[in-house]
Amino acid sequence: MAEYKRDEKVAFNGKKVEILGSTFEEGKPETPMNWRKKLRNREEILAYLKTGERYWFSDEWVGSEKRKTKA
Amino acid sequence: MSDIEKKSIDPATIEMIEKAHIDGCETIFDRADVMKPCPIGAEGSCCKHCYMGPCRVPAPKKKEGALEKIRRIGLCGATAETISARNFARMVAAGTAAHCDHARGVAKVFLATAKGEVPEFQIKDEQKLYQVAMDFGIEIGDRPIREIAIDIGERALAEFGRQEGELIFLKRAPLKRQEIWRNLGVAPRGIDREVVELLHRTCMGVDQDYQDLLISAARCALADGWGGSMISTELQDILFGNPVPILGQVNLGVLKKDEVNVVVHGHEPLLPEIMVGVLNDPDIQQAVQSVGAKGINLAGMCCSANEILMRHGIPVAGNFLQQELAIVTGVVDAMVVDIQCEMQSLAQVAKCYHTKLITTSPKAKIEGAIHIEFEEREAQKVAKKILMEAIENFSNRKTNVEIPSHVADMVVGFSHETINYLLGGFFRASYRPLNDNIINGRIRGIAGVVGCNNARTTHDDPNLTLIKELIKNDVIVLTTGCAAITSGKAGLLTPEAAKLYAGDGLASVCEAVGLPPVLHMGACVDNSRILMAATAVVKDGGLGDDISDLPAAGAALEWMHEKAIAIGHYFVASGVFTVFGTVWPTTGSEPVSRFLFEELENSLKGKWGFEPDPRKAAKLMIEHIDKKRKALGIDRARERVLFDMAKRRELDAA
Ligand code: SF4
Repeated sequence: MAEYKRDEKVAFNGKKVEILGSTFEEGKPETPMNWRKKLRNREEILAYLKTGERYWFSDEWVGSEKRKTKA
Repeated sequence: MSDIEKKSIDPATIEMIEKAHIDGCETIFDRADVMKPCPIGAEGSCCKHCYMGPCRVPAPKKKEGALEKIRRIGLCGATAETISARNFARMVAAGTAAHCDHARGVAKVFLATAKGEVPEFQIKDEQKLYQVAMDFGIEIGDRPIREIAIDIGERALAEFGRQEGELIFLKRAPLKRQEIWRNLGVAPRGIDREVVELLHRTCMGVDQDYQDLLISAARCALADGWGGSMISTELQDILFGNPVPILGQVNLGVLKKDEVNVVVHGHEPLLPEIMVGVLNDPDIQQAVQSVGAKGINLAGMCCSANEILMRHGIPVAGNFLQQELAIVTGVVDAMVVDIQCEMQSLAQVAKCYHTKLITTSPKAKIEGAIHIEFEEREAQKVAKKILMEAIENFSNRKTNVEIPSHVADMVVGFSHETINYLLGGFFRASYRPLNDNIINGRIRGIAGVVGCNNARTTHDDPNLTLIKELIKNDVIVLTTGCAAITSGKAGLLTPEAAKLYAGDGLASVCEAVGLPPVLHMGACVDNSRILMAATAVVKDGGLGDDISDLPAAGAALEWMHEKAIAIGHYFVASGVFTVFGTVWPTTGSEPVSRFLFEELENSLKGKWGFEPDPRKAAKLMIEHIDKKRKALGIDRARERVLFDMAKRRELDAA
């Protein structure tokens, strides 16, 4: 497994916190990060929408709204 | 500091104001010195809603007594409150009309695309198509994309003329927010209906209760944010692609001396998208060579810029107050404008140089400009014709050419879907990491900083000072419009900016995820993306069950357009504390201002604020964020305690 950099930072309340260091690559992206192209067909897109965009498209998802009945 | 230096904090802008003076070319910066705003109109105390007036009821310099209050009425008896609220409401109606008429245009092109009537446009984003289909309750199944798209186009267009019920996108909002709207009777029925009704209410002798007027204005504004603007964003995404992270450049330094420069300015992405597509056309390239230019450089201005920047990485020449200055460089061979925020003075400035000013919308012609109408059925032909006009003009450049060297890199393209993906990854896309970091205090809150430039204040200064102050205090900033361009010019739209400008907590999160501390979410219609991001945060959980519960606030310190008032009012009506700067249009009536700044919070759970000093505005926003953190019980950062089995047993035994 890759070694992650760790860093110590001060939160706005003054407390010290240990956090994961930067994981992104240095430099500038040459091409757009077109993550949407990874989904190859309708089936995969709809499956992604049900999970990734579950806030709107999953019947099970209620989050902190704590109720399943529509307003 | 010289007088010129007070006009902008952007060195490229200063250089071009100075050049304009040398060239004897008048710009908005000069006119702002000469013409001062009418003090009665500025405070919203002038009524010209009938021609027994105009009636002017300015606020007294000293505290008014009961007698003076009685005197502050128009000929018809309209009180200063009614006059002020009517003026405010008309701004909301006009701003909503602007965004929504733009949306109608997009919906019409979308439907024509779906029907195959405009072959130069295509459905590019299948994912967004299905998202919207599901929102609209349109069957997907095995149906061809074209059929689904036709249903979406027809349903979207029907939202404009809908007479009863509710706009479909309202159901995207948090459930509690929907209840608030319904209980108050402000859920918009149809887009056009709300604009028309609000204009009717503000006519002489109709709605003369200032509170009722301002609540009705909320209904109209919601028809913008959760209606027209959202329709624009969604359909544009389907046609041109949902934005993803992409590198771009910004400021007047993107213009090139040895290339043909074409600046697209305005708001609709339709023509600019087609222009991007034909840049490499052999006819265009050959014509470029024949005039001795090294290439053709397309650059954007204002929100047209944001649209093609987000989708193609096309460089941005500047924001609203730089539109004349782009021409002042002497190298803009054509400035191509469509709708909104195009100053009529462009025609005059273009005359000082060689620039061809080309209008393209049948709705927005400018005296003295060349009109080449955009016709979607012949989109490429029109695009090529415009580019040819620019190419032909290359050899007409005068000798007074000077391009500022200032240019900055930026990473843009943070749609709410992309943020979701970046935070969680492909298999667990989620706003959870954002919510967790807000709960544990590394991120203090979220701010939306949006809107225009205003020649009555130092260009870029209020927005930039505010944004820097917010990120320094660990508040992540979502930005759109001209404020986003300001951020780009100052280098805030790069991941590296986190280390340089953000507080330790926010910087640590940005560095871990690889995000800039300020996220460019698009053009001004894309403020609807901010509404969706806020809703996702609510729906993910742990931060209340309404947008008004979130540690969040909004601002547009350099606002100037009626559209900004519409945007501000739909943010307020969606539960957001929204601070405007520079000027405030209801200062003529204390009760109206009090209603907007305080009392609205009792019903809509959101409220307006006004603070021209950006540091004080940041303080107001941070205090509000802290108040919300306290209400959520997360005012002190809590490190998560992981219980081992022994601790669990202790707990069970207790
Ligand atoms: S509507 Fe009333 S206040 Fe307004 S201009 Fe007419 S008379 Fe004056």
